[in-house]
Amino acid sequence: MVRGIPVFAAGFVLAAPLAAAPLAVRVVDGAGRPVRDAVVTLHPSGAAARPARAGGHFVVAQRNLQFQPFLTIVPVGADVSFPNLDPTKHHVYSFSPAKKFELKLFAKDQSRTVHFDKAGIVALGCNIHDQMSAFIVVTDSQWTARTNGQGMAVFADAPNAPARLTVWHPYLRAPGGELQQALGAAQRSASFQVRLRPPPPAMAMQDY
Amino acid sequence: MRPFRSLSARLTFQFALLFAAAMLGVSAALSSFIAGAASREVEGQLQSSGAVYDRLWQQRAHELQNAAQLLARDFGFRAAVASGDQATMQSALGNAAARLKVRTAFIVTADGRVSSVDASTSGREAAALWDPLDEGRLTGVSVLAGRPRQLVAAPIMAPTLIGWVVFAADLDAREMRGLERLSAIPLHAAVIAYDKGRWSEASGSMSALDSQSASRAQSHVGTAFEMKVGGERSIALAKPLPTFADGQRAILLLAYPKAQAMADARKLQLALGLMTLLGLLLVAFATWKAAGRITQPLARLDEAAGRLASGEHVQVRVRGEDELARLASSFNEMVGKIAEREQRITQLAFNDTLTGLPNRTMFQQQLDHLFRASQGNGSLFALHCLDLDQFKVINDTLGHPAGDALLVEAARRVSQAARGQFVARLGGDEFVVLQTVGEDRNAIDRLGREILETMAKPLNVDGNEFVPSTSIGIAIAPQDGEDGGTLLRNADLALYRAKEAGRGTYAFFEESLNERAQERRQVEADLRLALERGELELFYQPLFDLEQNEICSFEALLRWRHPTRGLVSPVEFVPIAEDTGLIVPIGAWVIREACARAARWPANIRVAVNVSAVQFHRGALHETILRALADSGLSADRLEVEITESIFLDGGDTTLRLLHALRALGVRIALDDFGTGYSSLSYLQSFPFDKLKIDRSFIQNLLTRDGASAIVHAITELANALGIETTAEGVEETAQLMELRAHGCSSVQGFLFAEPMSGSDVDRLFREDPDAAVQNVA
Repeated sequence: MVRGIPVFAAGFVLAAPLAAAPLAVRVVDGAGRPVRDAVVTLHPSGAAARPARAGGHFVVAQRNLQFQPFLTIVPVGADVSFPNLDPTKHHVYSFSPAKKFELKLFAKDQSRTVHFDKAGIVALGCNIHDQMSAFIVVTDSQWTARTNGQGMAVFADAPNAPARLTVWHPYLRAPGGELQQALGAAQRSASFQVRLRPPPPAMAMQDY
Repeated sequence: MRPFRSLSARLTFQFALLFAAAMLGVSAALSSFIAGAASREVEGQLQSSGAVYDRLWQQRAHELQNAAQLLARDFGFRAAVASGDQATMQSALGNAAARLKVRTAFIVTADGRVSSVDASTSGREAAALWDPLDEGRLTGVSVLAGRPRQLVAAPIMAPTLIGWVVFAADLDAREMRGLERLSAIPLHAAVIAYDKGRWSEASGSMSALDSQSASRAQSHVGTAFEMKVGGERSIALAKPLPTFADGQRAILLLAYPKAQAMADARKLQLALGLMTLLGLLLVAFATWKAAGRITQPLARLDEAAGRLASGEHVQVRVRGEDELARLASSFNEMVGKIAEREQRITQLAFNDTLTGLPNRTMFQQQLDHLFRASQGNGSLFALHCLDLDQFKVINDTLGHPAGDALLVEAARRVSQAARGQFVARLGGDEFVVLQTVGEDRNAIDRLGREILETMAKPLNVDGNEFVPSTSIGIAIAPQDGEDGGTLLRNADLALYRAKEAGRGTYAFFEESLNERAQERRQVEADLRLALERGELELFYQPLFDLEQNEICSFEALLRWRHPTRGLVSPVEFVPIAEDTGLIVPIGAWVIREACARAARWPANIRVAVNVSAVQFHRGALHETILRALADSGLSADRLEVEITESIFLDGGDTTLRLLHALRALGVRIALDDFGTGYSSLSYLQSFPFDKLKIDRSFIQNLLTRDGASAIVHAITELANALGIETTAEGVEETAQLMELRAHGCSSVQGFLFAEPMSGSDVDRLFREDPDAAVQNVA
């Protein structure tokens, strides 16, 4: 399993401006249980906004008829390669507005790279194997994080400015799969209560 | 309950009522069971139709879902949806809908937009489906464009959920017809749905359905109930259908017209009703017959009892051996016994038990009958009254059994002599014969004589041979009496006359007898008053002692000085006094008066008093004499009681005891009228009389008839031998006196010496010169 996200997040923390303070965001489901792997994005308004560091290379492999990893957060301008590690053919596609593409990876160890130049959620599927599903979150904000097992995402250097806070989750029941709330300048914590639909039956959720 | 006049009607009514109740109960239960079974069958059929519909529904849903899923997975379609390629989306959706014969199909995108192939479905209605779709609902009923439809959806995954393909199949008449055709029973089917406060219906087959019956259907979900469909009463089953959205309700309504459903049950119930009615008629008829069998004998008994009450001797027919037969037998037996008893009562009432002859009652009836029969036709009939002359003697001396034997024999003989005539016993030794005579009066005499002759044959009773004799009094109707009472009385008078004439003879009634009888009744009436009026008095006739030549005694003689008749002879009234019992008080007065008078006389002068047999037997004579002696102070040996032999005819031992008792007092006893009557010497042996008074008839003939002197001599000799004094009565001539002296007679009495004199004359006699009278005579 590839675990690139903690490394990527640590990079954001180092670039935090001085006029900042930690912001804790908590995401719970309808029953109050913590929701992990929700992607929380902070968009401070005006000058406080800071784009994520552009570029970088990421890998979403196809192995054992699954995308790996299931959820990948990348900055705008990142390149993601899709190596086919299975003996079968894969037809990877995305109809997401952020990036539409089709990759016919018909041979083992064949790999193609896609450049993600627009912020948004990219849902990945395989036209041959319906059960295969993965998400790439292309973010344009430096403050983008996924919640941990306690449903917490903490931005250590969130600017003291009014901001828009967005939470997204692959199974979040809302149009577009995301919820937003406005955040006051001095607000140092926020919480989201979300409703999740059950994951598709064949999805191996424990893998991401 | 109204009382029944007939037992059979009541039995019929009660039993029929009972059976009817039972049969109606059974019938009602069966009928209800049939109806219930039919209902359950219909319900079962409805349920199975519901199940069929379920299957159809599932199949349809499955078919639609397959098609939807197929479409939703098509890569091109997904690409079109994901990229918002409306033209491609619409054409692909329209193509699939046409293949499925579904008019309405649309796509709801994950962000809530709607893309439809059917303009009739509003975007707003479709957008409302987003929530249930988002919750994962993929099938169900929902109301679209005002009509319930079966919705089937499939998610479009690209690869995340970007929307849903939704097919909406009509639940219209066509669909329902299909279901109705599949059902085993001719039912009506409809789907109704509730959305936004109102019910709507998909099919036209239940167009009459209103919201009221719809909500009613909703409240009976799962069970059969009754409702009106198209104006027809129907058995209905409401089956809930899954709805697409919460807050909606959908019901499959299956209805079966009740008349049709219950047609067979109705036929069965009708048959059952007819059979019940038939059964009731049969039961009533059978009960009526059975009741008849029970009550017919009772009715016969009832009728027989009625006839028995009116005096008829009826018998009822006995059939079988049951209780009724035994009752009938008992009834017959009772009738027999009643008849027997009536006969016995009649016999007792009209017959004499001893002789078997008709009794007085029957005789009276016969007499009345004869009077009525002879009225106007001039025919005669004779009444013979019979009396056995010695019956009293035989009854007293030989006892009642002998008397009874005599009566029985007498009855037999009279009946024999008077063959063909009516014979009755009136009581005691009184018999009567009613002889119908016709013209020949001599027949009456002949019958009288024949009876006398027949009766006079010798008879042996208890070893004592004797000849019964009879007296007969005859009265002839109608001349001797216009009615039974008179005739009988006159025959009785004739009988007295026959007895007077010397017994053993018959006498006819004459008018003079009647006059005598009337006179006698007058005397009797006067005599009752005589004593208290002081009309009776005593005369005293002296008796001369021939040895002493002086008066030794006076015989007290009773005289009745009647206010109009003057002096009445004792011969006339004493028998009447004896017959009526007046002799008892009169005799007692005589004794008292005589004693009182004699007490004033010289001490050597006795007084003699005649005592009748009647006095002797029922007069308390002993007490009367004791009282008279005590009251007067007369010495008992100066009182002499004169009796006649007749006192021995009744009484026997009692008489002797009384005589001895009087003797024990010192009273002297003289036997009067000796020589006449029975003159049984055995009396002289059985009682020591003090004196015999020789009857005047011997004295009168003493000088003229040869035997008389010898008899008087024999009597005096006998008396002297027995130490008994003798007194000769009725001495009127000196020659007689001489003769009596010669015979040794003790004393004499008669006109030769003195006539009877009043008490005051006697007193005067002794006052003037006690010895004068004696000397005078001497």
